[in-house]
Amino acid sequence: MVVMVLVGVFRDQVTVLIGGGTSKKPGLKAIRESKALTRGVTLRNYGNHIPNNSFSVRKNFLSAAYKKGDYLKNPALANQTVNPMTDPAGMEMMMEGMKKNFAMIIPQTVIMGWINFFFSGFVLIKLPFPLTLRFKSMLQRGVETPDMDVTWVSSLSWYFLNLFGLRSIFTLLLGEDNAADGMRDMAAMSQMSASPTGQPQDFHKLFLAESENLELTPHNWELDDIENRLLIRFGKRNPTINDDNDTIEMEDIPSDLSDVKGKSKRKGINKKK
Amino acid sequence: MMVSFDYKSAVTTLHELRKSGERKSDLVVTLGENLIHQGYAGKLGDEVWAVYEQIFIAALDLGNDQLAIKCLENLDKRFPESPRVKILKGMKLEAEDKLDAALALYEDILKDDDANIAAIKRRIAVFKAKGQDQQAIEALTRYLDAFYSDSESWLELSALYLNFHLYQQAGFCLEELILLQPQNHFYHLKYAEILYTSDNITMSLKEFCRVVELCEDNVRALCGIKLCTSRLLNLPISAITSSSSSTNSPFDMKTISDLNALAVERLSTIYSKKRRGGSSANEITDWLNNLS
Repeated sequence: MVVMVLVGVFRDQVTVLIGGGTSKKPGLKAIRESKALTRGVTLRNYGNHIPNNSFSVRKNFLSAAYKKGDYLKNPALANQTVNPMTDPAGMEMMMEGMKKNFAMIIPQTVIMGWINFFFSGFVLIKLPFPLTLRFKSMLQRGVETPDMDVTWVSSLSWYFLNLFGLRSIFTLLLGEDNAADGMRDMAAMSQMSASPTGQPQDFHKLFLAESENLELTPHNWELDDIENRLLIRFGKRNPTINDDNDTIEMEDIPSDLSDVKGKSKRKGINKKK
Repeated sequence: MMVSFDYKSAVTTLHELRKSGERKSDLVVTLGENLIHQGYAGKLGDEVWAVYEQIFIAALDLGNDQLAIKCLENLDKRFPESPRVKILKGMKLEAEDKLDAALALYEDILKDDDANIAAIKRRIAVFKAKGQDQQAIEALTRYLDAFYSDSESWLELSALYLNFHLYQQAGFCLEELILLQPQNHFYHLKYAEILYTSDNITMSLKEFCRVVELCEDNVRALCGIKLCTSRLLNLPISAITSSSSSTNSPFDMKTISDLNALAVERLSTIYSKKRRGGSSANEITDWLNNLS
């Protein structure tokens, strides 16, 4: 167990060394690319809070920008599908994972081999409490004796118990979020096999979808009827009076659609001169 | 008050201030001085660096150079190459009015890492301090283009535009803010005021109404409604119909006068309730009478 703790600490150091603080920050362009999408989403969700005119200006600007790929990291590559092997950033990410995995696998194999080789068949400890026979296969791996008491634990089993149980000790020794714990890596691994994360998203496709969504978004200004709402709320007007608003809204929908082209000229505001 | 210095409560206070981002510099400096001079700094563990940073900024605010230098030295010793400490050094330079040196430092950081938010923001602050508002606007728009959801920066940008009387652009910023936080009545209020200033009275009236809807008895908004309605009522009829044709639902005269009356009523009840001496209540009634 002492060896395992030491190896765990060592692994933490090695990961820090290899990783070298390689939590490499994405550049400004990458951040811009990933945040641009939220802009469209906010506009779709809360667009009703701003006036018609402002909404359609933004809508046109954003959907055009999405289509053209203005927000992409590299606008020239807009139509190519990104191959993770050729994208240097993706390559780096894969290398990162590889390094981490190696740092995990190598010591694990070495220790297990070492234990298997030298200590196979050894019984290391005796548990202080009785257990049923079912636990035999769990606690006495590598020692195939049918009639030994279950409370004795074989070396190999003890190794596995430690592997899974040392997390809290590492947390104590190295602080939160250390790399010594094998379990976390394993969890990460199983996740990785489930869904191929790490593959860079194709932002251009996302942008195209978002621009389509945007163009389909209708706009009803929240404030169209505000003065009536306010007057009703303070009891100055009867709730029945506002029938005529329906006709007003019916009128402005077609005018809005026909105006879209004319208003798009004003999208220059978006660039704020 | 600080006769027996309570180490624990000091640390938790500092921690909470750091988390909430409040800038109570005088409090931070008093607590920090006690912490450092009574030798508690070693006790803090890893938290000490964040505390040093916090005390440093607070000390700069108050012009307490000795304390600031002490914090900075400690940080510099521990993190000699950290960009975060470099930014603190830049702030020190700014405090000493060496703006160009600070600017050079920030640009140096940005060369390595063009997404360092703190450095970008400090650079904009330097532009503002130098009075180069136009450059500040340019840098800020570029920043917002990437970090779209930073509402404080949008507010800052709108303030900068207002310095140049660019109401349309400032209004644009406020619209973005409303998109980001539609329930924040303050943004609606500012937007309404900008619209009013740029003579878009009908839109402004709507936004003022929205503020009152979101935040009942908001005096600033009620005054705004009053101003707008008075102006609309005093306009000739033809002017109203032509100006409101640009917005979607034109006001009829009855609505306007109702709103006017509502604003007057609310304002007078608010001011008579407050009992803040007779003078302010009288002033407001005078003002209301003068307008209509």
